[in-house]
Amino acid sequence: MYSEIIMAGFGGQGVLLIGKMLAYAGMKAGNEVTWMPAYGPEMRGGTCNCTIVMSDKPVGSPITRSPHALIVLNLPSLDKFEASVRPGGVIVVNTSLINRLPRRTDVTVIPVAANEIAQEAGTPKAANMVAFGAYLGATGIADLAVVKDVLADTFASRPKLIGLNQTCLDRGYEIGKACAAQARS
Amino acid sequence: MPTPIITKDLCKGCELCVHACPEGVLEMSKEINAKGYFFPVVAHPEKCTGCRFCLLVCPDTAVQVEAKGKTTVRTEGLTPKPFHYCPGCTHGVIHRLVGECIEELGIRERTVGVAPVGCSVLAYDYFNCDMSQASHGRAMAVATGIKRGRPNLVVFSYQGDGDLASIGMAETVHAANRGEKITVIFVNNAIYGMTGGQMAPTTLPGQVASTCPLGRDVNHAGWPIRVVELLQSLRTPAYLSRVAVHDPKNILAAKRAIRKAFKYQIDGVCFSLIEVVSTCPTGWGQQPHEACEWLEQNMIPYYPLGDVKLPEAAA
Amino acid sequence: MAKKLMKGCEAIGEAAIHAGCRLFFGYPITPQNEIPEYMSARLPQVGGVFLQAESEVAASNMLYGAAGAGCRVFTSSSSPGISLMAEAISYIAGAELPVVIVNIMRGGPGLGGILPSQSDYFQATKGGGHGDYRVLVLAPSTVQEAADLTQDAFDLADHYRNPVMVVGDGLIGQMMEPVEFKRSISPEELPAKPWATTGCSDRKPNIINSLFLNPEELEAHNWHLHRKYQDMAREIRWESWKLEEPVDVLIVAYGTVARICKTAIDTLRARGVKVGLFRPISLFPYPSEQLSQAVEKAGKVLVTELSTGQMLEDVQAIVAGRKPVSFYGRVGGMVMSPEEIEREVDKLVAS
Repeated sequence: MYSEIIMAGFGGQGVLLIGKMLAYAGMKAGNEVTWMPAYGPEMRGGTCNCTIVMSDKPVGSPITRSPHALIVLNLPSLDKFEASVRPGGVIVVNTSLINRLPRRTDVTVIPVAANEIAQEAGTPKAANMVAFGAYLGATGIADLAVVKDVLADTFASRPKLIGLNQTCLDRGYEIGKACAAQARS
Repeated sequence: MPTPIITKDLCKGCELCVHACPEGVLEMSKEINAKGYFFPVVAHPEKCTGCRFCLLVCPDTAVQVEAKGKTTVRTEGLTPKPFHYCPGCTHGVIHRLVGECIEELGIRERTVGVAPVGCSVLAYDYFNCDMSQASHGRAMAVATGIKRGRPNLVVFSYQGDGDLASIGMAETVHAANRGEKITVIFVNNAIYGMTGGQMAPTTLPGQVASTCPLGRDVNHAGWPIRVVELLQSLRTPAYLSRVAVHDPKNILAAKRAIRKAFKYQIDGVCFSLIEVVSTCPTGWGQQPHEACEWLEQNMIPYYPLGDVKLPEAAA
Repeated sequence: MAKKLMKGCEAIGEAAIHAGCRLFFGYPITPQNEIPEYMSARLPQVGGVFLQAESEVAASNMLYGAAGAGCRVFTSSSSPGISLMAEAISYIAGAELPVVIVNIMRGGPGLGGILPSQSDYFQATKGGGHGDYRVLVLAPSTVQEAADLTQDAFDLADHYRNPVMVVGDGLIGQMMEPVEFKRSISPEELPAKPWATTGCSDRKPNIINSLFLNPEELEAHNWHLHRKYQDMAREIRWESWKLEEPVDVLIVAYGTVARICKTAIDTLRARGVKVGLFRPISLFPYPSEQLSQAVEKAGKVLVTELSTGQMLEDVQAIVAGRKPVSFYGRVGGMVMSPEEIEREVDKLVAS
């Protein structure tokens, strides 16, 4: 197993947080992981992003120019990273804030109206969880139950938020799973 | 009958004791000692009243006094090593005062001193306690490191005007502002002695130094810095005092201030800094006793003596 | 102890605590602020002292004072801050005091930028301050290694009574990886330092000093230091990766760059290219002999760094013309990708 994922959005959308959650979940499952926040010229241009590398062997490069998957929560992030995704990879697009779909035809696109779904669940702030759930559903890279444990740990000091965020994770997960199944068929 | 006892080979012939004696007990010898200096001899022992002025002003602990069957000795706060300072330099007096305070307060075995860069760079050879050398200007940072690491130690720095008020001003202000529980002995002789008499941040207006050969021009070099007044403006409680060592009365007052400064540290009260206005006969190009007079007439008007700040007074 | 996901900077801070260090003096500078921030929260919890100094100049001299008083102490900074500490590091080396300094390198010269760099290799390994002295330099490439080497750094500093510098780049400082602290020692368990300024209650006064006005004494002191630096050869550390068989291209890289090379090597090997990696972990002392042997079994050598070629000079001296040495560097905060390394190796194989 070896996977590189870039998660990107604007500051405050919580992409670093879901990146850390994925890294934790990977670690709990016994994998080697690295989590690298945007560092370098990537810091400019309206995107806040992080790179996660997960592997069953020690991780080499913690940065990538060609990720296997991309989660984008805003348009500048899609513009910036769309071309980099490896053929056969996955792009999760937050259609709530991105008014176009990826132009790539060699990747699986998972469109998800993350903000609206999160709003329905109780808060638009959890849009990151919806998108994260969609990615998990589409790729199966980490066990949903493990991610939920990580989520509970992450929000341990604000227990009220746990249920809400888990709901968003679940909603996204179903969408991602369905989309990926459709893409395969 | 009291009498001065001269250790002639410690003497550098500065004659301060001869000038200090109110009764004319001492005269300079006609012969030279091992160092090549004329030294004082007790010419009129019958006139001695035991006032100890000779002992107080001697920068080399070359004078002790016997009275009532007891003879004074060089303090245990100092090593036996003779000072390397120039004849008549008051560093030796200040060393003795610090050494005596350390001995009298019973703190020698838990005191660490920090030596600066400047004339007193070799201070670690003279104080009979653990010592640390510091780079130029950083003595208070070094002292901070020692004190923060081992708060039970009594830590003092001994610094000149260039070290403390020029290159080390940032460390000075910030150590004071943090209220580091250390004691700073600040020797202000208005000149860079070790490097050969250049202008110091405390050189007086019009005072000639090798880098202001026409005298300090305050429009060019700024006014001399009054360190204790500058630190007084900080809100952090501190004991700040200015003393001088040009005559016996002031030397006694200086010792009281230094002792008080150590006491504040021992009691964990505050940062303390004692500015000691002192002479540099070599750098000033004067005889030692002339330098003492010059200090009184020129330095004290600009650097007024006395306690400038007490911790009790702080808001 | 279970593995924790930690940023490199935090892992370095926690490692210092596990090494029995209870004192930190420092001054903020990007990109290593997570270290002082971590220590400011963590040290008071374990009875330690964190002090934000007025400058790196002051911080490094506080280090001198505390190390002289026998305390385990460390600081962290980034390139311009290390330049300001260079004076104190020289004094610390001269007075033979054990301190640990972490440099999370950023691009220079001058203010440069805040992005990752390896352009302080010369400063770290060849001096930085004045005088004939050396600093033991360790360069981790993972967060776990950063933690382990930081802990080791304290032991090495004490053993040699010398500054030990851990050099990382912004990548390793910001990166999160699982980390485990395998050993822990409390300050009380640390060996005594009878030379330190702890108060002379049961002995003659100790003096911490680097001044030797007598030239014979200073010469003797310098040769004594020199012998100590030679003895440090025992601490040489390196990693040979995929060098069991002869290779067409031997890559030499350290720190984060080395792991970027590993990803490139995996891809290249999958394509049948014979390539391996030699990674110095101790930059001073340098694993010269070990590299020399690896070079014997290589066709060409490729040095790659986040600089315009600093370690390159050491590698060239070691290879001594036996094999062609080429260089690939990125600077200014730009970081090479595995693909760039692949391309460089492909070029060498084709030429």
